[in-house]
Amino acid sequence: MHEFAAAQDILEMLEHTLGAKREVKRVHLTLGPLSGIASDALRFCFSELARLDGFGSPDLVIDEVASRVRCGVCGMEYAVMDFADACPGCQSLRREILSGDEFTLDWAEVEEE
Amino acid sequence: MQEDRTPLKTVRIESPVMAKNRQLAQANQRVFNSHGILVVNLIGSPGSGKTTLLEAMVARLGDALAVIEGDVQTRRDAERIERAGGRACQIETRGACHLDAQQVGRAVQDLRLETDPCKVLVIENVGNLICPSSYDLGEHLKMAVLSVPEGDDKVLKYPSLFSRASVLVVNKIDLLPHVHFDVDRAVDECHSLNDGIIVFKTSGKTGEGVAELCNFLAARQAELAHGIGE
Repeated sequence: MHEFAAAQDILEMLEHTLGAKREVKRVHLTLGPLSGIASDALRFCFSELARLDGFGSPDLVIDEVASRVRCGVCGMEYAVMDFADACPGCQSLRREILSGDEFTLDWAEVEEE
Repeated sequence: MQEDRTPLKTVRIESPVMAKNRQLAQANQRVFNSHGILVVNLIGSPGSGKTTLLEAMVARLGDALAVIEGDVQTRRDAERIERAGGRACQIETRGACHLDAQQVGRAVQDLRLETDPCKVLVIENVGNLICPSSYDLGEHLKMAVLSVPEGDDKVLKYPSLFSRASVLVVNKIDLLPHVHFDVDRAVDECHSLNDGIIVFKTSGKTGEGVAELCNFLAARQAELAHGIGE
């Protein structure tokens, strides 16, 4: 359950950015399939911690982006969420991974003061 | 009638989560580099033979090797390394499923590298194929251990680890006659995530393949020390 530590980190980043603990309406994250983070576990930890820690009940929007890869046989670029999925062009598993380990806090929505 | 609502504003942040851990990891790596120590983050399932492999490495590398042991509880693994004649310190995470850079930074102070230097430091992470892959500790390379009884289908189930590892150790190869494990399949699937990964086949129990692994680490350490000395 390293998602608990990740949720704590997100709340610290919010506090730092907003200057204080305050009610947050919505939080947006980007998560890649190589991040090693389980979105459901993160959602659970985040909502509990946010509530207990004075951030209200923000909606957590998680944009789960696919990994971009380039086939090592036919050169086709394609997207994968599940790495057991082979190249749609030639069925090879040989590939170069171009992206997929994203785990970023993008933006938060708060009421105007 | 329209509802009267406070307008919302969007605050852009656009920062990686867990950046604090990464900064602490970078600080650890500066310490390791200043001593010319090659640091390995050893990651594998509980029972994959990580500690037995380290015991066999202690027999070859002697004082050149130091070990940080990570477990949820007990000093058992550090005691095993010490009984094998090696240097070890133990981190007990008291529940956490992974080591983080701050814990490792403290453990490194306990090892007193200034007065008692080593060439290779292996950090044996908490037995787990998932969580440790998200935390850099300041290591130069991640070494993933996959033991033969675990099955040859595990690599693509845990892509975050195997895509980030520089070395794959297929361990317990003395058991290959007794269990179904297609080494080529595991290695091919690992290459599908990570074309440059270097593979060793070892048995911590019989010692097979341990010399090759130790030679590789010693060569990497020499490159590192040479690069820093320039």
